[in-house]
Amino acid sequence: MAASTSLLNIQGLEKAYGPVTALKNANFQVAAGEIHALLGANGAGKSTLVKILTGVISGDSGTISLHGKEITFSSPDNARQNGIAPVFQDPALIPDISIQRNLALTSTNEKRFISEISAMGLAVNLNEIAANIELPLLRMIDLARALSHDPELLILDEITAALPIDLSEKVIAIMNAQKQKGKSVVFISHRLAEIEEICDRATVLRDGINVDTFVASQGSEERIVSAMLGDKNRGNSAVTNKGNSNSNNETFLQVKAISGGKHLKDLSFEVKKGEVLGVAALEGQGQDLLFEILAGQSKAESGEIFVNDKKAVFSHPSDAIGLGISFVPGDRKSALMPQRSIRENLALTRFRGISKWGVINSKDEQSRVDDAVASLQIDTRASSQVKRLSGGNQQKVTIGRWVTTGFDLLLCFDPTRGIDVGTKQQIYELLRGFADQGKSVLLFTSELREIQLVCDRAIVIYEGKVQASLAIEKCTEENLLNAAHGILVEK
Amino acid sequence: MNLIQLRRQSWNLAIILLAAILGFWRVSQLPQFGAYEARTFVLGILPIALLSMGQAIIIIGGGINLAIGAEAVLINCLSAKYMQDTSFTKSLLLAIVFIFVGVLIGALTGWIISVSKIADIVVTLATSFLLVGVAMFVMPQPGGGINQTLADLISGKVPNFIPPLICLILPLLLIWIPLYRSKMGVAMYAIGSSKDAAFLSGVNVNMTRIKLYAFGGLFAGLSGLVLTGITLSSSPFANISNTATLNSVAGAVLGGVALSGGVGGLVGPALAALVLYFIPTILLAYGIDPSYSQIITGALTIVVVLLGGLLRKRTVSK
Amino acid sequence: MKFFRPLANIRMSKSMLSLIGILFSLYILTGLLDPYNFSIPAIGNVFYLAAALGLLAAGQTICMLTGGIDLSLAMIATGAAFIVSVKSSSGLLVALSLALLYCIVIGAINGLAIGLLGMNPLIMTLGMNAVLIGVFTVGVTTFLQGSSTVPDLLVTLSTASIIDTSGWIFDSVSADPRSWPFFTSIIDILSWPFFVWVLISAIVLFLLAKTGLGRLIYAIGDNAQAAKLAGVRVWQVQVTTYVMCAILGGIGGILLGGQSGAVALSLANSFLLPSVAAVVIGGTSIMGGIGGYKGTMMGTLILTLLSSLLTTINSSEAVKQMIYGAIVLALAWTYAKISENA
Repeated sequence: MAASTSLLNIQGLEKAYGPVTALKNANFQVAAGEIHALLGANGAGKSTLVKILTGVISGDSGTISLHGKEITFSSPDNARQNGIAPVFQDPALIPDISIQRNLALTSTNEKRFISEISAMGLAVNLNEIAANIELPLLRMIDLARALSHDPELLILDEITAALPIDLSEKVIAIMNAQKQKGKSVVFISHRLAEIEEICDRATVLRDGINVDTFVASQGSEERIVSAMLGDKNRGNSAVTNKGNSNSNNETFLQVKAISGGKHLKDLSFEVKKGEVLGVAALEGQGQDLLFEILAGQSKAESGEIFVNDKKAVFSHPSDAIGLGISFVPGDRKSALMPQRSIRENLALTRFRGISKWGVINSKDEQSRVDDAVASLQIDTRASSQVKRLSGGNQQKVTIGRWVTTGFDLLLCFDPTRGIDVGTKQQIYELLRGFADQGKSVLLFTSELREIQLVCDRAIVIYEGKVQASLAIEKCTEENLLNAAHGILVEK
Repeated sequence: MNLIQLRRQSWNLAIILLAAILGFWRVSQLPQFGAYEARTFVLGILPIALLSMGQAIIIIGGGINLAIGAEAVLINCLSAKYMQDTSFTKSLLLAIVFIFVGVLIGALTGWIISVSKIADIVVTLATSFLLVGVAMFVMPQPGGGINQTLADLISGKVPNFIPPLICLILPLLLIWIPLYRSKMGVAMYAIGSSKDAAFLSGVNVNMTRIKLYAFGGLFAGLSGLVLTGITLSSSPFANISNTATLNSVAGAVLGGVALSGGVGGLVGPALAALVLYFIPTILLAYGIDPSYSQIITGALTIVVVLLGGLLRKRTVSK
Repeated sequence: MKFFRPLANIRMSKSMLSLIGILFSLYILTGLLDPYNFSIPAIGNVFYLAAALGLLAAGQTICMLTGGIDLSLAMIATGAAFIVSVKSSSGLLVALSLALLYCIVIGAINGLAIGLLGMNPLIMTLGMNAVLIGVFTVGVTTFLQGSSTVPDLLVTLSTASIIDTSGWIFDSVSADPRSWPFFTSIIDILSWPFFVWVLISAIVLFLLAKTGLGRLIYAIGDNAQAAKLAGVRVWQVQVTTYVMCAILGGIGGILLGGQSGAVALSLANSFLLPSVAAVVIGGTSIMGGIGGYKGTMMGTLILTLLSSLLTTINSSEAVKQMIYGAIVLALAWTYAKISENA
């Protein structure tokens, strides 16, 4: 391995967002002249670490040292001036202005930028407006801009995701060039094969802590996956998953050859009545768009949806709701009215038709609300404004409103993200309960171990298609993670 | 390269075309067209053009100033009050002082918006009250005056139309173009386009916003001063400031500035002022009630904003 | 079920309490300057004056709760009054119906543009305002020709007390209620404007608190996206909102017309910005989703008292405006700080 001089040294970094701890005593070291992979499942703390490193937010405690000197980054500009250049998955370019003016904003030398872009074998019209440029090229522009400032530390956050092969290779070549110059790169990616090929060392974060740092080499995939998974014996799950408990094999929902957006190509699967179907996928595989399509919020480019064997066309969420399909989105912010009370949030769906705009039967509503609160065990102490509730409680409210309205299929997108363990358990029980009642649940989760806890079977989405459809016994985290990376799994 | 710049200038070109058509129409109504008539045109559009340019800057930066008309009226009243019966030098000095006051008021507005985190609409609604009040305080009745030489410098001695034309073009050349090219100018576009991306690109959003409203105030001050130079007096009425504000928004929007921010320039609004001027003048010459022109202006603003929004959705749908 | 009084609730009542405090202090101040203001007729006069503003502010409250605003409200109000006057020759009922129709149409156009076409409410209503001014200016000389004096019945309705004591005859003075202490004063308070305002306020408060529509108004103001996901057709709520706002404005305008006796195009102009100010002072956020009409009513009374206070101390229009603006700003800032710390 190359130089032993440490370029970046992070010790004991902590960061909490209210009750949720993102980073818990995180350590991270990058030597000069190395390419260091930063890995971890969704919610493990990677993006928080990067945000602190790039001056977007500040940590609660812990130290960051650059070349041995302790430092705090007060702003993105400050971080950049200290030689740290990030390239995010969503390029930080101003959409409505030209590339030339974007460069002026960061005081980037135009000539230098042009030479960097040419070295990539690309040509860019500086007068073109950023919003009109395709994402892959935009990423390369962001990268070229970062390089033009001769960064000490280049942070590449999922840059190769959705990048065509030729550009990916260019990125790899650039990383190696930086290494030759004695500069360093922090490389964040889900493509395990790339990591083995390119990186010198890899650090895996899990639950806000560095759990493993090692030299990346052949066969590191296994080590990475097991580090990400951690100890398999995690707590007692009080949920007994009987699997296929109430499934009478009648199909409720059928999805055929759905395509849309940048990622969904040809997706087909079905959901039976009385089952919880799990969906696993890496970040950015189009699973969010899939759920939006099923919820009636977005339109698919092609493909068909059948509900109870009848073709369904959704032009508005109320169409989907009318057919019994309800949506619990991943971003609680988009499902809740933050300044309104629990009661109003729970009752919202009841007013969706004009016929329901009249006087509210207060007693009836109160009893329904009370029922929902009781059955979901919602803590009503901060009931006047939902934004004050903990994440877990908020999630229960979003699920709760569908309980009062009634549904046949509940679309749950990462419902337990950022929620405490106790509430997670409650939600698992809830979902299994729905299945026992003969309802269906489509559950996408970024926490793979949940699948075996809650689901009857699972599908894995990769490169726009269903990569694998697994029975519950085969839904081990290892299998799911491998399938999610496109690695074939024995069925 | 040419095609891209052409695409970006397409709105301006459309406005130029519209202004030209209306201009020819207007000229055809006149018995003759000479320097005198040209001067009337320029004087007619000068105050509103400057105000639209100020509003345009603010909207580009993602804000809006509902008090911009009041700012202009205040500077109008201040200058007319203190410049009455003064020497040229004194008037000139006062002019500079009061323009600076306009900048200060703008900066203060931007500061309040940044620090209080109150919506810009609410803040500027409140300041519009305040500023009209101050204007009325300064000038309870219409009146005042200005040094004649300075007035001639602004509005030109009949039939000289060059001075007012210079008053229109000079701010564009000396203020806007340097600002547009500077890092500060790009930062203004940035915060209007995407505050988050701007922050990540190292822009100090609050400071930029203060400067944004300061520049808006600069143009408002110029507008007020020019009004003094043209009318040789001032009128402190809320009506005038409200209409002026309305027209400034119409001018900016017609001039191709997107309400969502980050898009547009100042040349468009200046040209749009021509359109806003010609419509009522043409109608009046036909004996049509000028109120019809108000209907047209209102409807035109709505349609333009609607179209603008739809068109932008198409081009950026990638 | 746990029934703790959440901290937030206490804070919000704090805002209402401070509003009541401000109102009370202002009232004491007006009384100190002129003891007549402590009399019941004077109180009645405050309500009389506040009614029209209260109605316009009610419309504005509903719009702002959805995150919008209606800057064409003044012209809607004036227009309604105008139509009633001009068409009064066809009979009062006809005139009122036409005015109502006018409000519904304009409100619907605003609502459809904002809800279906996605127009920015500020620009849409600003443009609509300009269009209306033009239409009515032209109309005065053409299709809206007619008397600009408000029909007598409306004048009475807009000014007098709801109990007409002029025809009362009693056997003896002591039997005549009018000689009893406070009786005439109370009659005076119960002026039609007061009555109308109270009635409509009750309707508005009920609508916002106890109906599905009211819930949706708050919902789309707080998070239209969430409402959509819950199956709500947001545009329908928005059209209804702007129509209701227009109707409220129309009633306010007719009341104003009755109080003035004649209708000029500038009738409601000076009420537009105060209508927004009353809502902001009352604690409704311009972003929508929080607030309500109770606060607006307080705001209306505060602004009305403030206005008469400034008139009493003979301050000029200029000082009045400056103080208006400063107070709106100060109160809005206070609310921003309170909700930030919450």
